[in-house]
Amino acid sequence: MRPLIIIGIHLALQCGQTISAVDPEIFLDKYCLNCHDRDLQKGDRDFESLSFPIDGLPSIIKAQDIIDQLVLGEMPPQKAKAQPSEEEVTNLIAALTQQVGQARDSLESTGAQTVLRRLNRREYTNTIEDLLGLDLESFDPTRNFPTDQTAEHMDNIGDTLVTSGYLLDQYLEAADAVIEKVFSNLEKPKEENWRFRGNFYQGSELAYSHKRVFNYRYLCIYEVTDTPRQEGCYGYVNEFKTGVPADGLYEIQLLAHAKNRDHPYDDKIFGTDFAEPFRLGIVPGRDDAGLLHNSQPIEPLLDEVTVGDGEPKWHTMKVWLHEGQTPRFTFINGMESSRSAFSAIANRYKDHWPKGDFEGGIVDARRVVLEHGKMPHIRIHEVKIRGPIFNTWPPRKHQIILGDKPFRPERTREILKRFADRAYRRPATKEEIDNLMNVVKIRRAEGHSPMQAMKDALKAALCSPAFIYLAEPGRQQSKGEKLGAHDLASRLSYFLWSTMPDPELRALADSGEILKPAVLHQQMHRLLKDPRSEEFVAGFLDAWLNLRSLGDMPPDRDMFADYYTWSLESAFAEETRAFTRHLLENNRPIFDYLDSDYTVLNKSLAKHYELDTLLKEFDREPAKAHHFRKVSLANYPNRGGLIGMGSVLTVTANGIETSPVTRGVWILENIFGTPPAPPPDDVPPIDPDIRGATTIRDQLEKHREVTTCNECHRKIDPPGFALENFDPVGAWRTHYPAGRKQGPKIDASDQLSSGQAFSSIPEFKELLLNRKEPFARMLTERLLTYATGRRMEVLDRGDVDKIVKQLGQRGNGMQDLLELVTTSSLFQSP
Amino acid sequence: MTLKSPSSHRRFFLKTTGVSLALPVLHSLSTKLLGAGTSLQATETKKSASPTRMVAIGNLLGFYQPSFFPTAPGPNYEMPRLLKPLAPHRKDFTLFSGLDHDHKGGHFAVHSFLSGVLLMDAKGRPDGNISMDQLAAESVGSLTRFPSLTIGSESGIHGGCKMCWTRSGTRVPPIPGPKQLFNKLFVDESTDNLAKSYDKFHLKGSILDAVLGDAKSLQRRIDREDREKLDEYFTSVRDVEKRLELSRHWADVPKPKPPITAPKNTNMVDDLPLLYDLIVLALQTDSTRIATLEIGGDFEARYFDIKKGYHALSHHGKLQENIDHLLVLEEYQMQQFSRFLERLKSVKEGDGTLLDHSMVLFGSGMANANSHTNKNLPVILAGGGFKHGEYKAIRRDESHHTPLSNLYVSMLQKFGMEVDQFGTSTGTLL
Repeated sequence: MRPLIIIGIHLALQCGQTISAVDPEIFLDKYCLNCHDRDLQKGDRDFESLSFPIDGLPSIIKAQDIIDQLVLGEMPPQKAKAQPSEEEVTNLIAALTQQVGQARDSLESTGAQTVLRRLNRREYTNTIEDLLGLDLESFDPTRNFPTDQTAEHMDNIGDTLVTSGYLLDQYLEAADAVIEKVFSNLEKPKEENWRFRGNFYQGSELAYSHKRVFNYRYLCIYEVTDTPRQEGCYGYVNEFKTGVPADGLYEIQLLAHAKNRDHPYDDKIFGTDFAEPFRLGIVPGRDDAGLLHNSQPIEPLLDEVTVGDGEPKWHTMKVWLHEGQTPRFTFINGMESSRSAFSAIANRYKDHWPKGDFEGGIVDARRVVLEHGKMPHIRIHEVKIRGPIFNTWPPRKHQIILGDKPFRPERTREILKRFADRAYRRPATKEEIDNLMNVVKIRRAEGHSPMQAMKDALKAALCSPAFIYLAEPGRQQSKGEKLGAHDLASRLSYFLWSTMPDPELRALADSGEILKPAVLHQQMHRLLKDPRSEEFVAGFLDAWLNLRSLGDMPPDRDMFADYYTWSLESAFAEETRAFTRHLLENNRPIFDYLDSDYTVLNKSLAKHYELDTLLKEFDREPAKAHHFRKVSLANYPNRGGLIGMGSVLTVTANGIETSPVTRGVWILENIFGTPPAPPPDDVPPIDPDIRGATTIRDQLEKHREVTTCNECHRKIDPPGFALENFDPVGAWRTHYPAGRKQGPKIDASDQLSSGQAFSSIPEFKELLLNRKEPFARMLTERLLTYATGRRMEVLDRGDVDKIVKQLGQRGNGMQDLLELVTTSSLFQSP
Repeated sequence: MTLKSPSSHRRFFLKTTGVSLALPVLHSLSTKLLGAGTSLQATETKKSASPTRMVAIGNLLGFYQPSFFPTAPGPNYEMPRLLKPLAPHRKDFTLFSGLDHDHKGGHFAVHSFLSGVLLMDAKGRPDGNISMDQLAAESVGSLTRFPSLTIGSESGIHGGCKMCWTRSGTRVPPIPGPKQLFNKLFVDESTDNLAKSYDKFHLKGSILDAVLGDAKSLQRRIDREDREKLDEYFTSVRDVEKRLELSRHWADVPKPKPPITAPKNTNMVDDLPLLYDLIVLALQTDSTRIATLEIGGDFEARYFDIKKGYHALSHHGKLQENIDHLLVLEEYQMQQFSRFLERLKSVKEGDGTLLDHSMVLFGSGMANANSHTNKNLPVILAGGGFKHGEYKAIRRDESHHTPLSNLYVSMLQKFGMEVDQFGTSTGTLL
């Protein structure tokens, strides 16, 4: 439902464009002021004091109230003598809607300037990583930060991001945590060796059967981690559960093999693709963060290996672990639920067990299947751990702050100056260094060592507004209309990497070279080629397509089990990102987003999309079936382009059912670039009824019989209906479900408000390709918004038009668009 | 299919391990407080033997309306299935229909249950989208160890219930389970940790001084729009300074002795009675006067051995099978709420019971989950010294709307605050 709400922020202007002139004042005077004037104020409503055009929040609220009452047909009341014609009402609604939209825009205007922009959560994390040389993949100093505020799904808009006392307190805590982490080991920690064989206790549910059948000889992993019961998805060494003694790189060796990939049971019991070899992953865990055989808040996949059938073999992985973390082993392409599988096998294959051996119940089911059956799993026989391994000492994180020399008290000011210059992304002022030195003085006076006092001053720098804000002097202050060298370098770096400038870019800012167009151009391409530009791809898609919300409305586990067993959620996001990377790297036209005869996917997605002829391609090398690759969609015209992607189709549904309204609004917003006006208050909601023959189409058609509703829904519903053959997780369907049975057949034909009809996805995509220019404009505006950290306003229209025109002349390439955005005057202005 | 009766379920073992202690802590705490720093003296006069408390409980998906709202209003209304568990407390609560915040937005509007204001509308309002509990907490200040306790979870649709908001538009991070709540209430810091805490207060103080200097010099270099933004930073610094002062004070006061052993977190379904018990203890020991509880995304159907998800069931599509399952989940919530009222009643305090001094709001920001509407919300108000015993059906149609915030204004007034407006209120109720 998110799009419906967000559109409230930017009302459409296009509504008013076709409307004949109507004077709201005359209308109100004629039909409303009899009761709602200053004297009577019937229903506490005084419209006499309303002046036009609408301006300011109180007037907006009043005007919205009038719109709502007219839409509902509640006002004027039946008994009133003077009744407006239907046309008068429609025109007034359109006129007021337009005025309200403009009033809201001007209320939110920042004068086409970026407002003092706070680092958002991901920018903060990335910046800390680069600034301090820390590995924060599985150590999150921002875990208690409040969620960043977004505007139009963008998480980096200056005037939207709020700083609160709570957040500042979290900055203090985070600064303390990360600085102490940098200096956690001043001496090189000793490298140690651990070896574990046997005595592999398993999580509580499995303990009984594993003790009885194996006497804890093996560590077994059965299921994917995204499973409701979580009984056999994490293998960990119970004797090593307090974790490693120090931060560092650890070598993990496992003697392991795949058991029973070839089994005598019905594959449906597992939901696993047994054509693929078993994949073993490593995630970190902490004994003090919850049960080790259940999910924990921080558990990124650190590494993975493929485990072969046959005799157990040694597998080696090297992973970074933080003090107190213990490695946990996962079965990436394991079964859906070990509990269900144990139970199903024990009961359905009773003739496999010795007569009278199975007593029934889940506890004995596990025992009997492990003892006499062929349960597929990953089996680990032995675990060796070595570390922490340091190839150089002192480590980079010390050098990055202290330089090549060790700490000495008389170096304090020099160290702080060096650090603040980097942290503030510009040379720090003398006053700023004095402020830090004050912290040193106070902490010394409180009895702390010179080293501790220096560390505490570093923490202060990380809480300074000079660090947490991208503070660009405004236009009044800076002489010209252009950003200074350091601000421009930061803008480029946060745009493409979501982090601070690297040394090369910083040097160009220090020398002022970055202000030269040729240098900016060259740096933009360098940053884009760097792997760190993945931050741009993910961050921008999260904002433009709202992919950040993927998973906010988790699909139902019962109805969409594959979504979890095949890790479709992350695969969906990766498809859209990989597709975008392909556009960027090959400078492909941006219109590939509208339709393409290719996409980038892995085998799970190919199965989900039912691209049967492509499966052979993946089976040629089963060990790489989970790798993403570009595939031809020549035989599958229903896929291709954004609207064929599971990411988009899932994020526009609620995980249970689809709504043409939600998807229609999404298309108007993100493809057509013409967001509809928000729905009026008090519209009768759609109450889904899946018992009988009423389909969503019947219900919406009834809604559209009301003229005032039809005004917007004739634009919204048709593109939504076009996608009805895609279910809530983007799989193809021909019928609606009715409970567990098949419901009515789906009709995905309709006509756009322009009158162009379509009856299939390919025909609909044809129509999308007729609207290239609005799409190019929309994408340009979105990119500019993301790049500058502010909303595009009417004042910016000329600049946007210029980019769109040049883009067309250059062939509409995605890389060209990024280049045009970066070199535009909008990007280089405060 | 047969449904497992919840009453036979193991989660009811807690019935016997509950608490019914009369703790003399209130008195000793106030003595200690009186002797504490001068900055708190001024507010001391407001302290009485039986302070007024406020509790708000909300769930994510509402209640199946045909089984929740009686057919006819008045004092002699007949209780439908979901109200039946509350029968013993009939005289101690008022049931409302027809109240809401006039929002739409389905799950998003659930977040406005206690604020009356959607996050997107918060900007430009003097109090933003501050929720009722947080506004009340501001008035309690440092009088109790915790100005308020927010219990809930981050999981669930769009981040769960998200009921509690500060005036700057940030969600108050919830305490996730009984284990963490117990530690917060009863576990004292070790001497070593205490020394560390004091040092941390000092460190934070000196950092704030330094960054304040930086902010002032930044202020001179930027534009008007930017300066308004930087004001947030200055306000934040002052806010953290106040928090530090509060923490310093309470660090000196020992926590009350725990009357139960430390609990473990199991799951939201089994933990629910335990959380209610701990809230009773928190109020009883005057550790806080304001508590909120979110029954959110981690309250899952599988703990009732129901295969379909709670969210999916709430989209029941009017299928009877789905509705039957849904009612099992909702009935359990009503039973636990009833048990909570029972506990509050069992604690004698002053001239009455703890319930007499605690106003308890129970409901949801979701009205009809099947159609995602937020109009005509389920709302129950119990205790707090209000006159109860009735089902008040308030007229609700296109032309008549009584804001739920009106009820909140009445509650805030009862709490002792001089307010005549909250959220989108137009008056008072009760």
